[in-house]
Amino acid sequence: MEVLLFGMIAEKANTDRVQISATSLSELRTALTARIPDLDRMSYAIAVDRAVVLADRALNGTEEIAVLPPFAGG
Amino acid sequence: MSEVRQHKVKDIFVDGPIDPSFVGTSIAKHATRQDIGAHEIFLGQIRADVVGADDRPPNNVVIAIEYTAYREMALETMTAIREEAFVRWPEMTCLHVHHSLGTIPVGQLCFMVFASSKHRQQAREAVAYVVDRIKSELPIFGKEIFVDNTHQWKRNT
Repeated sequence: MEVLLFGMIAEKANTDRVQISATSLSELRTALTARIPDLDRMSYAIAVDRAVVLADRALNGTEEIAVLPPFAGG
Repeated sequence: MSEVRQHKVKDIFVDGPIDPSFVGTSIAKHATRQDIGAHEIFLGQIRADVVGADDRPPNNVVIAIEYTAYREMALETMTAIREEAFVRWPEMTCLHVHHSLGTIPVGQLCFMVFASSKHRQQAREAVAYVVDRIKSELPIFGKEIFVDNTHQWKRNT
């Protein structure tokens, strides 16, 4: 699945999207940590279909996934 | 009024700073609405912050913020916040939100929340509430650019 990256996370990854295979959010987190340098030391949230999801859940590959660093609007 | 209450997804984003004359024009557009008795406006301006002064040279001052956003999620979240605000403050007749994207220099406006209502209290409360919700819930990201061309990522507290 394609994962959208933003802000300081896109900067670290040197791209604004990565391809990841994962069947759950926890699997996705592990794969992202391996793919993006220092991600485990950064604060971020994962949005599934445009809403932040905290608990683990299954993913079927059709969801819109985004990795969001801290918000800074306003 | 009906178009405001239809809750369609409105684009809040503008490229570059918000021109102060746009604020005046926005106010002027309400002259025909004779049921409005109060306007409340919040404007956010880029501040020349000295960030990380403890571990940076004292000349490291913010000269601009470069904003980006997860546009689709931001607009969906904003629509939900707008709907809640109209339920919570039924006297509010309109609510206009604009946020800049791109590089906004110090001293320029980057954020505007404008509510109108019959009396002042509902417009005041709605603006304070909507500003806070936007700052904490909209996926907008800000790169603080320093005078020496280094940068760090802003985070709302």
